[in-house]
Amino acid sequence: MEGRMTSLEAAMKASSSMASNMARNADPDQQTLRPNSVEQFYFPRPGQSLPGIPPFFGPPSSSLYLPNDNEAKFGNQFESNPSQNTDWDPQAIVSNLTFLEQKIKQVKDIVQSMNNRENQVAGGSSELAAKQHLITADLTSIIIQLISTAGSLLPSMKNPLLSSNPAVRQLGNTLGSPMGFGMNANQRPSVDSKTDIPDTGKTSDYDELMNSLNTAQDERDELIKCPNPCGGEGSEPTPMEDHDVKESDDGGEGENLPPGSYVVLQLEKEEILAPHTHFCLICGKGFKRDANLRMHMRGHGDEYKTSAALAKPTKDSGADHAPVTRYSCPFVGCKRNKEHKKFQPLKTILCVKNHYKRSHCDKSYTCSRCNTKKFSVIADLKTHEKHCGRDKWLCSCGTTFSRKDKLFGHVALFQGHTPALPMEDVKVSEASEQPQDSEPLNEMARSMVYSFPSSDGISNLDMKMADDVRGYFSPLNFDPCFGALDDFTRPGFDISENPFSFLPSGSCSYGQQNGDS
Amino acid sequence: MSRQAQKLDSAAGDGAVGIGVLSLDLLGQVLHGLWEPRDRKACRLVSRAFERAEAAHRRALRVLRREPLPRLLRAFPALELLDLSACASLDDASLAAAVAGAGGGLAGLRSVCLARANGVGWRGLEALVAACPKLEAVDLSHCVSAGDREVAALAAAAGLRELRLDKCLAVTDMGLAKVVVGCPRLEKLSLKWCREISDIGIDLLAKKCPELRSLNISYLKVGNGSLRSISSLERLEELAMVCCSCIDDEGLELLSKGSDSLQSVDVSRCDHVTSEGLASLIDGRNFLQKLYAADCLHEIGQRFLSKLATLKETLTLLKLDGLEVSDSLLQAIGESCNKLVEIGLSKCSGVTDEGISSLVAQCSDLRTIDLTCCNLITNNALDSIADNCKMLECLRLESCSLINEKGLKRIATCCPNLKEIDLTDCGVDDAALEHLAKCSELRILKLGLCSSISDKGIAFISSKCGKLVELDLYRCNSITDDGLAALVNGCKRIKLLNLCYCNKITDTGLGHLGSLEELTNLELRCLFRITGIGISSVAIGCKSLIELDLKRCYSVDDAGLWALARYALNLRQLTISYCQVTGLGLCHLLSSLRCLQDIKMVHLSWVSIEGFELALRAACGRLKKLKMLCGLKTVLSPELLQMLQACGCRIRWVNKPLVYKD
Repeated sequence: MEGRMTSLEAAMKASSSMASNMARNADPDQQTLRPNSVEQFYFPRPGQSLPGIPPFFGPPSSSLYLPNDNEAKFGNQFESNPSQNTDWDPQAIVSNLTFLEQKIKQVKDIVQSMNNRENQVAGGSSELAAKQHLITADLTSIIIQLISTAGSLLPSMKNPLLSSNPAVRQLGNTLGSPMGFGMNANQRPSVDSKTDIPDTGKTSDYDELMNSLNTAQDERDELIKCPNPCGGEGSEPTPMEDHDVKESDDGGEGENLPPGSYVVLQLEKEEILAPHTHFCLICGKGFKRDANLRMHMRGHGDEYKTSAALAKPTKDSGADHAPVTRYSCPFVGCKRNKEHKKFQPLKTILCVKNHYKRSHCDKSYTCSRCNTKKFSVIADLKTHEKHCGRDKWLCSCGTTFSRKDKLFGHVALFQGHTPALPMEDVKVSEASEQPQDSEPLNEMARSMVYSFPSSDGISNLDMKMADDVRGYFSPLNFDPCFGALDDFTRPGFDISENPFSFLPSGSCSYGQQNGDS
Repeated sequence: MSRQAQKLDSAAGDGAVGIGVLSLDLLGQVLHGLWEPRDRKACRLVSRAFERAEAAHRRALRVLRREPLPRLLRAFPALELLDLSACASLDDASLAAAVAGAGGGLAGLRSVCLARANGVGWRGLEALVAACPKLEAVDLSHCVSAGDREVAALAAAAGLRELRLDKCLAVTDMGLAKVVVGCPRLEKLSLKWCREISDIGIDLLAKKCPELRSLNISYLKVGNGSLRSISSLERLEELAMVCCSCIDDEGLELLSKGSDSLQSVDVSRCDHVTSEGLASLIDGRNFLQKLYAADCLHEIGQRFLSKLATLKETLTLLKLDGLEVSDSLLQAIGESCNKLVEIGLSKCSGVTDEGISSLVAQCSDLRTIDLTCCNLITNNALDSIADNCKMLECLRLESCSLINEKGLKRIATCCPNLKEIDLTDCGVDDAALEHLAKCSELRILKLGLCSSISDKGIAFISSKCGKLVELDLYRCNSITDDGLAALVNGCKRIKLLNLCYCNKITDTGLGHLGSLEELTNLELRCLFRITGIGISSVAIGCKSLIELDLKRCYSVDDAGLWALARYALNLRQLTISYCQVTGLGLCHLLSSLRCLQDIKMVHLSWVSIEGFELALRAACGRLKKLKMLCGLKTVLSPELLQMLQACGCRIRWVNKPLVYKD
């Protein structure tokens, strides 16, 4: 974590300096820097973390391996976007700036209140932690709004600039999206907030926050690291422990690709846990389905309205040349982490998602029928619920099984255990009182619990998460920043919507971190 | 009654004191020497001392009726073997009550046979197992209603070594699991026809019962996975898997990886087994003694033959029924396995004289040769068999119609040990029987469909073959009463006699049969000349009669049934279809015969519905099988049918119109 953070900060600084360069209309040195960075892109050296140039546009694979193409693409993209020049609206910028001011004030207030409370409450660390958590959540939501608002300022600013100054246009291409600016613009306040927080114990929270805000940067960082699966980038190389969790669904089990024959990607956990998987490259709005994203894109201009743009992207385009890609779990010490000496890569992003949730996250979904089984992946819960309560294979020891072969395996394993026949149940419970007593209680509990949570919490989550399980991540998408341009210009901006969809993942990883440390 | 018993009898008659002074142990040893149950019964009846001795020393008991069971169990406290398979109308409650009433009297019981005891349920078995701590063997075969619960009751017998569950249709993996966990010392287990048992159950069996020596999984729906589990059994000697169609060569290969203990393998009618699989099985088993591969092979590969040669020293039995063979193959088998004792080539096409002679030339130890339906063979084959196999005991030649008396003469001369010969449909005549009569050891003789055999031939047989036990004269319709008179003169030990369609036989002939005291099974189908008088003489004379077939004996009337009701007290199976009997006779018969369990009474046109109703009500609770016309199903009272079914009686309804014959 530490190593990664340093590289991340380096990356941030680099990009922020570039941003400031750009603000000063960029000197010609930038041009010389670029080929160099491209080279590094290709041949990352051990121990060197690169202040990379974010390949914000274009599909992930091509951005990684064909930077020249990329450049061409970026250029094309912008040149084909002259229509954006027209939506420069001073009115909107002013309103957005006012909004930014308000928000920055809010952030200040919150940080101050944090400071005050810490002085007041000395004892009760758990209480404190809870409060900190709440405040962090508040802070998160506000900062996200800041970012997106700042981002929304840019498209309107950028295009006149670009068209007037070719050097800046170059830079703009390399920096890519408005998001790049948004990030850099917002880094200052967040760094300030770090200094405002005196407690060292809070750094992890802060890391969380930063991570969630800067995943794009992280990702870039990771991408640069990844082509070399052997590790040795300087981040801690030794795994702490083996997590031999059963991961039959996680993929990568049966195949034996020789190391080096595939490219390893490592997503950050925020990205893994983010509910949305498709992000608008212009405004950053997230979607669960690619089709919805394509619908959304129509709002960004006529060129997205062509049938070719709206058509479903074919899967095998460029499949011949695409290198074999495997994924690494971001949890250091996990067997699925590329640092592990017996590293077993994960096959797909879906595998990464499921693996990470199953192995490194809290099991937050509890079966409402048996009230004992817990799951971190909603699909697992649903699978379980299909069979829950139907454990008809019973052993004399009282253990129940949903499958006969499992029962027989159990019986084979333990001396003296024998399958219980249905009618014998009565006798068994007569002999030993405990199961008999607990049985009706369990039954009652089951029925009570069953009706309660399914009506609110779980079912809501179900709907949200079920899509995730099926959806795909694109490895290079943006961090979960919400609040699109469209939303902003609307007068009744719904604040609650964005942090709401962000928070579950943030809070989840928060708990995880605490549990692990 | 044997001479031995008569001697004892007279001793008892001379002075009961003489017997009385002998100790119980001595008397017990005397009784031990008496093999025939009826001899022992005679002793028991004439002397109290013998009765006491028997009570103290009797080890085995076969009970035929339910009512005396509690008393018998109390009377014989030293019992080790209890056979309840023929016990009429034994049900759950009566077994439980009898066992409970016996007190500690069953402490020594080691083996219980409950085959076909359909009424027995888990309560009775639970009581039995609880009362018999030394129980080692239980036979529950053909208790079609027995299920997991019954088998689970047996699981309490921790010392169980032998268990037969043939055709316990409701037993599943769960029941099997109960048994294998409860009885880890099982050595013999038969699961034939337990169709619910799967690979999972067999796998657990292999894990929990390492002592298993004999296993029968015939007709199960198990696959190769079971054989993998079974291969882990270190002591398995016998494995039967008849008609396991899910097992193939791969399974046999898995089996071959197991230990070397396997001695007998039966893969008969396993459709997917080929000679390649058997070859790989043999590859791992150099001690295989018996190989049953009837009706499963289509051709024999070279690899199989070469592997067979490795079993030269051990293989004693080879069954290849239904295979298309060639002379060279038989020769190769002869060269590879010259220690063979039994070979089965039944229904093998392509068996010729040359093939047989090259086979038997190498295998001089052969005792049993099955050439059923090998209809190409002639006297030459018999000659070479006679010349090479001096030890021959059993020769089956059904449908080998090219043979005649010359070949049989050679056999009879050279094979003095011949005990069984099947000449059904071989068209042999009296001359052949004259030669066969030289085989004084002959026990089983089958002459069905040899219509040229006359009284003369029977006379030859009876003059020499005093040990004959089974004689089949099906459709030998030249035989008359004189032939039967000659037969009973010499062959007094006949137990099974088939005279179906020998329609020259009259009441006089049956009168002769009356002297066959040991006769148990008698088939008289379609002897339309015989009447109640003949039946009476049989019933009076043949005290051991268990099965009687009188189908289409159109002249048999109520008088015959009265006689049977009065005298044939051991009768268990009876067929009286088409007989001229009335409801009265039927009622009397069914109410009197306490052991009758199976009666076929189709087309009894003289019996009224009331007659059937009353007769069946009288026998209800004892009958296990019933065959009647379908038309009666609707007219008989539903209570009666329900009652019959509740007592474990299975009714087979014949869907034919009633045939009137008067």
